Amino acid sequence: MLYQEMPALTTNYMLAGFIVIFGVILLYIVSLLVRQKNLRQDLEVLSEEESQPHGQTNQS
Amino acid sequence: MESKPRLLTVLDFVTAFFMLLATAMVFFYAPMEAVMGNVQRVFYFHVAAGWVGMLGFLVAAIAGIAYLRTQKRKWDIVGLASVEIGMAFAFINVVTGAIWARPIWNTWWTWDPRLTTATIMLLIYAAYLMLRSGIDDPNRRARFGAVYAIIGFLSVPLTFFSARLFRTIHPVVIGTNQPGAEGAFDMTPKMLQTFLFSLFVFSFLYADLLWHRIRLGELADRVEQLKLKVMG
Repeated sequence: MLYQEMPALTTNYMLAGFIVIFGVILLYIVSLLVRQKNLRQDLEVLSEEESQPHGQTNQS
Repeated sequence: MESKPRLLTVLDFVTAFFMLLATAMVFFYAPMEAVMGNVQRVFYFHVAAGWVGMLGFLVAAIAGIAYLRTQKRKWDIVGLASVEIGMAFAFINVVTGAIWARPIWNTWWTWDPRLTTATIMLLIYAAYLMLRSGIDDPNRRARFGAVYAIIGFLSVPLTFFSARLFRTIHPVVIGTNQPGAEGAFDMTPKMLQTFLFSLFVFSFLYADLLWHRIRLGELADRVEQLKLKVMG
């Protein structure tokens, strides 16, 4: 690489690098949203269970 | 879960705008490096991701100390959130480094001190997440997490200084390169501006993601407490 006059043709590697960067960030954001949605559902179900009289369970 | 704070929404938009701007600077403002070609553009976000990874682990260690001193669960939530984000960015750092290395060093991987210490650091924090998930008692889990985050942080300065202390082919951005460094280059003013702006923007991104992850941690904590109450 030291003796060439033109820059090396490395565009494909650059694209692969940016796919990894934005892919991982996007995946992490999606994982936050999915976990948040699941936890909200859990919270709703548990709150219902808690508000019901002792011994009764939700049949649905 | 409380409704989303207005400031967090503002931070989301500002971060997204800054990310777009930084990406535009990387592709259209910074010049192409004369020898390496376009793959050098990965460098701006590669280093910024490494910075966020180390920042995440530093914040986790500080949160660990705060937890041990106060026993407040919020510090455990901050620590876990910060490790998780730090890991995502440390992973980006290692993988983009390998992609850059393929055309420049002619190999995806070499057991160079910097690459090796960075990977060990990543594995140490992967173990943190795995071991945490195996502890049921929340207080024991928090205490373990705090101690682990403090001890695990030793791997961070070791990784940072490895390219300066040991014989390595990994280039050093700030400071003097080793004689055997391969792929080092002199930054033009436009490259330096893009580099510094990328560091700034990734710090913003870290703060934004941390806030979201802490809110998620608080929600998970509420669910766990309620579960224990209902089952008990």
